Amino acid sequence: MHSLWPTEMTTSGSMKQYNKDLSEQQSEQTPPEKRHEPKKKQRFSARSIAQIGLMVAVIEVSKFALSGLPNIELTSFWLIMFTLYFGWQVVAVVPVFILLEGAIYGIQLWWIMYLYAWPLLVLIVWLLRKKASMILMAVISGIFGLCFGALCAIPYFFIGLSSGGVASGWTTAVTWWIAGIPWDFVHCIGNVVIMLVLYHPISFVLKKVGQLHSD
Amino acid sequence: MKNQKKIIIIAVCILAALIAVFAIVYAVKKPAAQAGQKDITIEVTGSAGDTTEYELITDAEFLKDAMDELVANGSDFTYSGTDGDYGIMVEIINGESAIYEKDGAYWALYVNGEYGQYGADAQPVADGDDYLWKYEAVQ
Repeated sequence: MHSLWPTEMTTSGSMKQYNKDLSEQQSEQTPPEKRHEPKKKQRFSARSIAQIGLMVAVIEVSKFALSGLPNIELTSFWLIMFTLYFGWQVVAVVPVFILLEGAIYGIQLWWIMYLYAWPLLVLIVWLLRKKASMILMAVISGIFGLCFGALCAIPYFFIGLSSGGVASGWTTAVTWWIAGIPWDFVHCIGNVVIMLVLYHPISFVLKKVGQLHSD
Repeated sequence: MKNQKKIIIIAVCILAALIAVFAIVYAVKKPAAQAGQKDITIEVTGSAGDTTEYELITDAEFLKDAMDELVANGSDFTYSGTDGDYGIMVEIINGESAIYEKDGAYWALYVNGEYGQYGADAQPVADGDDYLWKYEAVQ
């Protein structure tokens, strides 16, 4: 039996045609200088604020749950996954998380380290988001864990610098970093293992969450 | 796909190189303990600014072991603290408490006049060294 509709006019075909016509119509009505402007979205809707709160809560609870295990943490894992699946919202998650940490545990030297260490991880993941895979994210997370001590040694350079010049700053930072290298190895292995174990199950869940929100 | 594989290979190479560099740096520069007999001084400066000095001849390789010897050999030196993941956090010396949360102060360790880089567990003991525990209030 032959269809009464030509091939392009099947249900999906007709919708595609309709959408194409509509966009052409809209582009004709839109001034040329505004045609390439992205559609304005309400960035901080009630839903996205709630989502940001939930993301921070997940990080905080995971961090507290693993606080008994030195240098084994889920913060890196969650920040990577949230960057991959929630994009720009992580821009709000990181400062909220850092402020909350300061409010709970007090603003001390480690808090200064948080100000640049976590945003750096998010930035790296965001730059590589289109190439994301379990292996790549495990390696990135591992590198971050391994370099965490070196990153955190930076404020010690300034502490040493203030008391005895550049040489003293360098010695203070390097000595502090070297003393913690075994723990950086633990951090690296922990991050890699966590990513290898949790990447696929959590990706599945986060995709579902994304689908729910697009409905 | 090819590009992604390339990025993964580069990332794995970076990780492997960093592991190698960190391992070498640690092996060469880690805090080394000195075997044999050492003549050291342990000083304590309390909140009032008064300093007590203790001379010790010890075989201990790390400061905590030397402090334990000092406690055991009948001097009036005492100390206690809490064990954490990174070693002991010294909180009370000679009966004076310097607990950050409670007293807003801590016992700072100076080695030969320089601010110490390690805790008592990890601080290597060297012959002729001077270790000063100083009560420092947080501003």
